Amino acid sequence: MPDLYIFKAQEGMIDPVALQNQNVAIHYTAAVYYRKVDFLEAIPPFQCLDIGALAAVTASGRVNAVNLEMADHEFGLFRWYPIDDAQIRLYHPAGISKYQLRNIQVPVDMNIVNRDPNLVSTEIAVWEDNRPAFEAVNGHAFVLGAVRIIAIGFRFHTVSLTEGAAKNPALVEALKTGKEPCTHVWCSGRAMGD
Amino acid sequence: MITKERIIVPGPIVNLAAALQANAAVVFTIPVLAGQLIGVKSVKIVKVQLFNNTAGNTQVYIGTGVAAGFIALLPALDSFNLLMDSYGPETDLIEAEAFANITAWPATLVALGTIDIQISVAIIG
Repeated sequence: MPDLYIFKAQEGMIDPVALQNQNVAIHYTAAVYYRKVDFLEAIPPFQCLDIGALAAVTASGRVNAVNLEMADHEFGLFRWYPIDDAQIRLYHPAGISKYQLRNIQVPVDMNIVNRDPNLVSTEIAVWEDNRPAFEAVNGHAFVLGAVRIIAIGFRFHTVSLTEGAAKNPALVEALKTGKEPCTHVWCSGRAMGD
Repeated sequence: MITKERIIVPGPIVNLAAALQANAAVVFTIPVLAGQLIGVKSVKIVKVQLFNNTAGNTQVYIGTGVAAGFIALLPALDSFNLLMDSYGPETDLIEAEAFANITAWPATLVALGTIDIQISVAIIG
């Protein structure tokens, strides 16, 4: 099932990680939800967040990206980049650092469109209203008039395989053991040491 | 995949009111935020604009440092009395890379004359 993986480095901008009727395992912090996709649509590039003006040599506060929230039973898949010359730190959810190495939280800046043209390394998923948050760092000696983030991706509506009309315990067991394929979608970061 | 990186940002308009390299003024400050910014930043000058406010025909030197510490990045650029002079990007400037604040100074100034300067740089790093 070639569709069922994340971080696809394809030609073009971004591919969906699951198609109609394909299974997904949605990970949000320690929870895992086994579900089936019953609708998906593309989300064109849009300005999902403006952190606002940022004074010289200053880091902004952490700003929730409410425009990346999804409705109930839905998850979003997004890649993103900034269009103003700040370094951006991502938190997902707001309390957990993304792109975290042992000694550094890797930021994203405008160079990402040169260094990773289809933005694979920025890919995140959002489960329901558990949105990410962004911080910006302005290292310049002048004020940035705005710090704006562009996102592009997909919206997936899903139905539960563990309860409700589509309940299917045998399939869930097969997904857990790997006998049936599914895409594992991580909708949050992971704290160091967890 | 290697792509030429070109994040271009303009510096402020700076008024050069005193001649000679001892009076070199900062025209672009290298981005730096100790402890938070990740990675070292440097810049390459891609455009220079000079406006000569009755300063007489002269030349402007652009580099890093002040006084005896001044190191030129570009050849001297002509500035003509009462005219706007623009250098780059149509005529590419030398891609000298600076890791320190960019400074500039005019060789001479007629009394009460000044030169306004604004540069655009490509941010590297």
